[in-house]
Amino acid sequence: MLLSGVALLSSCEDVIEVAVPSEEPRLIIDAMVRVDTTQAITTVRVKVSETASFFDEPQPVTLEQITLAGAILLEETPGSGIYSREVSTSQLMREELFLAIDYNDQIFAAFTDFAPAVPIDNLSQGPGGLIDDETELVIGFTDIPDSENFYLLDFDLNEFVTTRDQFYEGQEFEFSFFYDDKLEPGTELEISLMGATSDFYQYMEKLLEQSDDDLGVFDTPAVTVRGNILNASDIETISDLSDANLETNFPLGYFAVVQEYKQTIVIQ
Amino acid sequence: MLKFVKAPLTAGFFVNFIKKSSLKKLLLLLLLFPILGLAQQKYTLSGTVLEQSTGESLIGVSVLIPELKTGTTTNEYGFYSITIPEGTYEVTISYLGFADITETIDLNQDIRKDYRLEESSESLDEVIIEAQNDRLDVRTPQMSVNTVKVQTIKQIPVVLGESDVIKSILLLPGVTSAGEAASGFNVRGGAVDQNLILLDEATIFNSSHLFGLFSVFNPDAIKDVKLYKGGIPARYGGRVSSVLEIFQKEGNSQKFTGNGGIGAVTSRLLLEGPLEKNRGAFLFGGRASYAHLFTPLFDIDNRAYFYDINTKLNYRLNERNNIFLSGYFGRDLFSISESFVNTYGNAVVNFRWNHIFSDKLFSNLSLIYSDYFYGLELDFVGFEWDSGIQNFNLKYDLKHYINDKLQVNYGLNNIYYIFNPGNIKPNNPDSGIVEEQLIKKYANEFAAYVDAEHEITENLSIQLGLRLSHFIRFGQDEINVYADNNPVEFDPLLLIYREAEPIDVVESSRSDQLASFTNFEPRVSMSYTFNENTSVKASYTRLSQYLHLLSNTSSPTPLDVWTPSGPFVEPQLLDQYAIGFFKNIKEGDFSLEVEGFYKDIQNRIDYIDGAELIANDAIEQVILNGEARAYGAEFLFRKNEGQLTGWLAYTWSKSEQRTPPRNEGEIGINSGEWYATPFDKRHDISLYANYELNKKWSFNTNFIYQTGQPTNYPIGQFEFQGLVIPYYGLRNVERLPDFHRMDISATLKPKQKEGRRWQGEWVFSIYNVYNRRNAAAINFRRNQDTGVNEAVRTSIFGIIPSVTYNFKF
Repeated sequence: MLLSGVALLSSCEDVIEVAVPSEEPRLIIDAMVRVDTTQAITTVRVKVSETASFFDEPQPVTLEQITLAGAILLEETPGSGIYSREVSTSQLMREELFLAIDYNDQIFAAFTDFAPAVPIDNLSQGPGGLIDDETELVIGFTDIPDSENFYLLDFDLNEFVTTRDQFYEGQEFEFSFFYDDKLEPGTELEISLMGATSDFYQYMEKLLEQSDDDLGVFDTPAVTVRGNILNASDIETISDLSDANLETNFPLGYFAVVQEYKQTIVIQ
Repeated sequence: MLKFVKAPLTAGFFVNFIKKSSLKKLLLLLLLFPILGLAQQKYTLSGTVLEQSTGESLIGVSVLIPELKTGTTTNEYGFYSITIPEGTYEVTISYLGFADITETIDLNQDIRKDYRLEESSESLDEVIIEAQNDRLDVRTPQMSVNTVKVQTIKQIPVVLGESDVIKSILLLPGVTSAGEAASGFNVRGGAVDQNLILLDEATIFNSSHLFGLFSVFNPDAIKDVKLYKGGIPARYGGRVSSVLEIFQKEGNSQKFTGNGGIGAVTSRLLLEGPLEKNRGAFLFGGRASYAHLFTPLFDIDNRAYFYDINTKLNYRLNERNNIFLSGYFGRDLFSISESFVNTYGNAVVNFRWNHIFSDKLFSNLSLIYSDYFYGLELDFVGFEWDSGIQNFNLKYDLKHYINDKLQVNYGLNNIYYIFNPGNIKPNNPDSGIVEEQLIKKYANEFAAYVDAEHEITENLSIQLGLRLSHFIRFGQDEINVYADNNPVEFDPLLLIYREAEPIDVVESSRSDQLASFTNFEPRVSMSYTFNENTSVKASYTRLSQYLHLLSNTSSPTPLDVWTPSGPFVEPQLLDQYAIGFFKNIKEGDFSLEVEGFYKDIQNRIDYIDGAELIANDAIEQVILNGEARAYGAEFLFRKNEGQLTGWLAYTWSKSEQRTPPRNEGEIGINSGEWYATPFDKRHDISLYANYELNKKWSFNTNFIYQTGQPTNYPIGQFEFQGLVIPYYGLRNVERLPDFHRMDISATLKPKQKEGRRWQGEWVFSIYNVYNRRNAAAINFRRNQDTGVNEAVRTSIFGIIPSVTYNFKF
């Protein structure tokens, strides 16, 4: 924000036509499972699709099979690419959860650990942003003591924030989040505080960095963010991965199971 | 010696002689001549060259003995020394913009002689078109160096009329930046942190104000700017790409004067005057931007400004001893409603003592303190942050003018560093932030050097140098120990680098040595002169760099921290080879410089994807050692004389880096392939012209054309939790559209009123005359309103007219 503030001094933006390159479609697996631990049953939902060039929409795909934490998921409506199943919540609050996908004669697999979170202590609307009266939310929570913790906050409207307890270990911590614009009064927002494993935290950091559109001068390198899902089709043995085509043959997306605390707020 | 024998020969003396004498006699004479020469007594002419009106010492003034076809130039303190055989000679003292002094010296003993040069424009009524000697020095082995006069820096049209040292050197061949608003500069494909920036010999760690829009040097306070791009003399070290040496003015020892200006961005005032006439002077300069630069844009309570203070005191104790005290203090301050406050800047204090041991031995002792501070307060998160680097620098340099063919420089340098990677504390009692000091780091850098410039024959000169550098990383409160000494783990299935878990943490005392490095850095330059106007030169340079700026963005930000080499971070090592062709045309009215270079840097650090560089106590967990290389050709044609002066520079170059896999099974960064650096520009053309119409009006223009910077276009996109994420193939394979721009300015000097000291000057300038929307970046994003993906071009400066008023009294 600091940097974009400077940019406003005299910069301007315009939309231009660019011929972008493309590659063979790649499988995208959005397998972030949000768990409300106060409920006995959790609906697990995974979205699968295939990449397209930047200016074309990803297309949903139909899988041969998908299992998550031992449960076989089923496509909600044919052709939607959304697979779901109700499972017992306790089954998800574990380590070494397993995801397996069978698609196009390829096998995709991932492991993850359940990531705990903490409740939202307070959520309120702040006086407004620094530059243009952008909507401000003040959120507070108490860090899980005596351990290194990572959190992911979903501020709705595709706005996410990652944070770690490096400087507030075990403390009650409060900060402000600013939206890009001033939101219409009456807008109802659903705010979530979720846990994250260290790896998932880093994944989300990179993802947010890549989807960010700050002034180019201070851009970090453009990369392909690799997740934790493996295309295991060509793996003969774990001791020799030289023919496993891991460098080219990988899906995008992530498998995470996170505890979630939600609150809603109506913008004044 | 040889020159002494040959001088009469080339003068036609030889031809006449043959006719009159027998061959036998001639042979005898030729044999005897050198002996006579040796027996002949030599004496030294030495002294200082000063500017008449101000008493300011002048750097790089030619002291020539035409009869012997030899000469020397004054050093950084205006001192010269030349040792030649007894005799009566014409001595010419010449410097661009000043009237020559030519006088006859009867050299029958060592002579100490100070000269005072008068500015030519002040002494003559007409516009100076007369040839002045600012000839390209084709004879010296020193190559790859560019000097920019402060006068030129002040004339070059720039954004908002704010004269800028760094924006000026970007017009030189081999110098680029990562874009219009990028901070710092890149020399011959090197990174920003590889430039050694010296202000009165003190290291400046961040050369930018307002994130790169302006540089930290107040042109009013500056005397001389010199950029070494290669063939770097052994007295410099510690950065691998270039040395930008800037000297502050000493102050007017004749009379009290002032100058200043009022511009669109800043106002400046500089005062100088004698402490004691002809012996001592002071200088005090200040520059400040207006406090509310952003107010017109946002109707809120904000401040964004910067200021610089330059000071200097000098005092000539006697003919042999001079002391100087100089200081610089600069800060940027940026705040919004007091809830976001950001301050950063450099501070420098330097005490120097020039001592002339003898007319052949000049010495300078410097005691320097410099620091860089970065502070941030974020009220909406509830914390304050500060970080920085401090250093204590002791330098002792000697220049030994053994004879007119041989000069030897030698010296010592020791720098002690304290690195504060960050201190965080709550800014109010309710904040959940826990105070924490990130682990401070300590290091010492020692160097000793010797550098000899020797004229071997009349045509061949060589400069041989050797620098020995030694770096110690001292103990710190905590340091991690890793399995197999490997702080970066590689996941062979997911192909991701990640931080390794330390297996132990050890404490060490500040006197322990965690690591030490010793490097021999040979430097060789030579020149072969075909005639007075034409030469070829070649050089080899090895340099080592022990400090690294942790920066993973295409241009450094003020928040980036420096880190020393140590147990997990190797020093950067450079080898650079350069060759060049140099020619003065029409008695130096025009000059041509063509150079080719190749350089190779080992241990250039690169970062794993998603590396967190700020507030990271174990930076070794996110960096990998890579390498960098650059090569290219530079062409510089200058017109030095006449109403129209200026230059045309063209550079063809390539700058790349790579981080290969450390072992089989890893993929490295960018699949281990070479990729273009963010400042790689294949073609770079700059034209600068200055036209003096008459005493009242002068006009300046720049034209710049550059290949667009490397960028990335996504090869596809995916969605995760509603976020649209572009993804990419190999790095930096696409290019932004070509960059070009033209700037113009006109300077009006109204006639000075009789009997008044006040002299004003108006500078009208237009930046980016044809309002080209040069792309600073192309970003790919989803438009939140329409839900459609789009490519967005950001351009920074459109057409910007401005007016500046400068004055002196």
